[in-house]
Amino acid sequence: MKINSSEIKWHLLFIILVLLLIYPLLFSLSTSFKTMSEAFQSSSLIPADPTFSAYDRVFTTINFVQILSNTFIIAALVTIFKLVTSVFAAYAFVFFHFKGKTALYFLLISTIFIPFTVTMIPNYITLSKVGFVDSIYGVALPQLADATGIFLLRQYMKGIPMSLMEVAELERASHLTRLRTIVVPLIRPAILSIGIIFFINSWNEYVWPAIMIKSEVNYTLSLALQMFVSSEGGTDVPVAMAVATLTMLLPLGLYAVCQKFIIGTFAQSGIKG
Amino acid sequence: MYSIEFKNVIKRFGKNEVIKGLNLSIRKGERLILLGSSGCGKSTILRMISGLETISSGELYLNGKLANDMDPGDRGIGMVFQNYALFPHMTVEKNIAYGLRIHRIPEKEIADRVKKAVTILNLDGLEQRLPRELSGGQRQRVALARALVKQADFFLLDEPLSNLDAQLRGKARKELVRIHEMYGQTMIYVTHDQIEAMTVGQRIAVINDGRIQMLDTPHEVYRRPANLFVAKFIGSPSMNVFDGQTAAGTMRLNDTALPLTPGWAEKVGTAGAEKLLAGVRPEDITLTAEPEEGAVPVTVQYHEDYGSRVGYYFTINGEEVISIMRDDVLQGCRQAYWKPNPGALHFFDAATERNIGYPEEAAE
Amino acid sequence: MKSADDQSAYRRRERRLAFLFVLPSLAVFILFMFYPLLYTLYLSFFKWNMVSPKMKFVALDNYVNLLTDPVTVTIAENTLLYIVILVLFNFLLPYVLAFVNTFLMKKGKYIYKTLLFSSSLIALVVGAILFQWIFNPVSGPVGAIADAVGVALPAWSKTPGLVILVISLVAVYKAFGYNFLILLSGMNSVPEELIEAAKLEKAPNSNIFTKIVVPLTSSTAVYILIMTIVQGLQYVFTPIKVLTQGGPNDASSNIIYQGYDYAFTFYETGMSAALAIITMLIFLVLLYLEFRFVEKGVYYEN
Repeated sequence: MKINSSEIKWHLLFIILVLLLIYPLLFSLSTSFKTMSEAFQSSSLIPADPTFSAYDRVFTTINFVQILSNTFIIAALVTIFKLVTSVFAAYAFVFFHFKGKTALYFLLISTIFIPFTVTMIPNYITLSKVGFVDSIYGVALPQLADATGIFLLRQYMKGIPMSLMEVAELERASHLTRLRTIVVPLIRPAILSIGIIFFINSWNEYVWPAIMIKSEVNYTLSLALQMFVSSEGGTDVPVAMAVATLTMLLPLGLYAVCQKFIIGTFAQSGIKG
Repeated sequence: MYSIEFKNVIKRFGKNEVIKGLNLSIRKGERLILLGSSGCGKSTILRMISGLETISSGELYLNGKLANDMDPGDRGIGMVFQNYALFPHMTVEKNIAYGLRIHRIPEKEIADRVKKAVTILNLDGLEQRLPRELSGGQRQRVALARALVKQADFFLLDEPLSNLDAQLRGKARKELVRIHEMYGQTMIYVTHDQIEAMTVGQRIAVINDGRIQMLDTPHEVYRRPANLFVAKFIGSPSMNVFDGQTAAGTMRLNDTALPLTPGWAEKVGTAGAEKLLAGVRPEDITLTAEPEEGAVPVTVQYHEDYGSRVGYYFTINGEEVISIMRDDVLQGCRQAYWKPNPGALHFFDAATERNIGYPEEAAE
Repeated sequence: MKSADDQSAYRRRERRLAFLFVLPSLAVFILFMFYPLLYTLYLSFFKWNMVSPKMKFVALDNYVNLLTDPVTVTIAENTLLYIVILVLFNFLLPYVLAFVNTFLMKKGKYIYKTLLFSSSLIALVVGAILFQWIFNPVSGPVGAIADAVGVALPAWSKTPGLVILVISLVAVYKAFGYNFLILLSGMNSVPEELIEAAKLEKAPNSNIFTKIVVPLTSSTAVYILIMTIVQGLQYVFTPIKVLTQGGPNDASSNIIYQGYDYAFTFYETGMSAALAIITMLIFLVLLYLEFRFVEKGVYYEN
């Protein structure tokens, strides 16, 4: 590939940026294969004596499988429920006419601007009343009140030509039929990537687990990671990096596989309309 | 009993009244064209028939039944949209059979009906293709097939040919007429293209500003325009209209007094209009280089050669007028003599813009 | 006046169905967003420790206490510093880079958004832990580099100011790629011909950016600017909570963490609620400003 000489400086700038952003990932990966003493002595990216011992210790110090499955179950519940409710709500905002539609839509969307400190105490109280403190449901439920899915799906649904829906209306297709035979098939890629984004976000969620979960058996990956942190130092760095690496694996893996969809959907999320 | 009947129908979008008291009766099995420029309300009328648009006031009858509140799905509508509205994720066969499957028609019958439509519309072999793999003409025919297999009472078309290129459009017009004659449904066809309207329609409703300006056969719409709007809207280039000062059996054109026939003289005299406008179609005239009796001397300002015909521009009573001849009769000569063909005159009341009518002798 | 349109049975059925479609979302939002909002507003007028059956009505005392507490001054200063750093790294830098990438680069430029975006998918806790070790003055690479150039890296978590910078970098790591991506797609609303014409006039790049690109991309830019503040202040919550708990001496706390601290460390729900309401009001003012700007922006971008 030939590159204009005046552009080279810009490419250099971007390459440096990419290296800066990728470096922490490599740092984490490499440190996770180091011995504890090497981790403290050398910051080289290539472990002198690669070892899996940190990963062994992950499984002995914490109940990794339990934590992984907690995180997965929460993320799966949140993703499925949020996708279904968002698809229905977005459909109503695009294909139905009712009074106050725009006002309701903007009311829901403006919740993106509400800081979690506003909802945390009442949600904690509500969930404690139904016994969901220290439970994965207590972590999952508050995450459902998220309008980004409605916003994104509405954008995509607005892209469907109205005449397609009218063809169905003239055939007396019910709205559920229209949703199933036209809308969902047409925006399937968007639904999938929004689902992936929901999943990753919930997988990474820290605030609600930190508020709701007390006992280690209900920990999510985010909370487990916290066990390896102390401001005084002297902790087991390789294990912390091993858990960090394991936590990143799924989001980055998903991204590697469907990078185009994810990028495209995120790019949509900043566009107004 | 009419197939479709509008009685004093009004349609408002917010405060904006787009259909202003529509009365329209459509016969069973006829091909009716709704013709008008964009924004005139023609598509709204079509969409009110389909139920995709509600009626603000007035009554709509379908097959004699009040249909104001009828579900769109219960009206028996087969519709072709301007953009064809084919489902991009479904094959041709699935597109055509979409409605039939929703209505749970037995698969055997679906197959028969689809087969018939596919054959009639020359879509054989394309059944398993996706819309994006089809040409524009093929897509348009799939849209037609989907509206036809329903065997609905009403066949509505919203600018169905406007996305086709000119050559295909001519072919598609003939095909539409042929198909209509096979299926025989009541066909309502919206277009802004007067050639389509003239060739496809059995009757044309010319619409402007939310009102029907004229409803008649293509021939009458062209020959006997009900008002100034229809006169100028139909025909290309449009009818020349200028001040029609008449006195004592003559009409003053520039400095010449053109004698009127006795029939016209009487008609004009009894029209009761304060001021008249006269109209002559560009091609309903003779233009000569030599003086002729009863001809108006004019100075040609500009001429255009269209290949098959030639257009000349000059001024009559202060209005720019175009006249069209088959050959370049003037051969560069600027001085010419212009005479409207007898029986090709139209007079309109300048105040109401209504046609004042025609004398007996002008009747065909 | 009720028009005939609204009375048809068909339309009525449609409206009922529309309500059913919105209902699940609405229920969730009412339960976990709108009701809590009102409840928090209510709590902000009471003194309560979350467990006691007794709640004491104190009217505006919580707000008055907040506004007169010297800690609040520290928190406000910290919050402003967070905002300055976040706006610099998560808004201005990606904005300029999006311009460079779109209009000053031609070949091989598309790979960068994909690569830069990858860090946006990483959990904030992971980011916090990575940065903790990368900036570890004894064993981390940044400390090693500082050593090499003869500077001793102070213990950042104990150093006011520096602690905010390092914690902000975690949020930068999270949001930079995302903001770059959005600002990049915002650049699409600038017609290429305008830039070409300016280049033919030999206009300097800085001029093209400020005179052509900024006016034409203002609505996307304002959106990202505001999200940088609203989300950024919440993003840094995680590293604060995980790494410093607001310390040393509140030197890394901000308006969000302080609200959490009041509630779940000191069990002062009234103070927490009052601070949360104030935070929300500030965010809503930003939202209002965005609407005003975006409306103007629509004029430009269409």
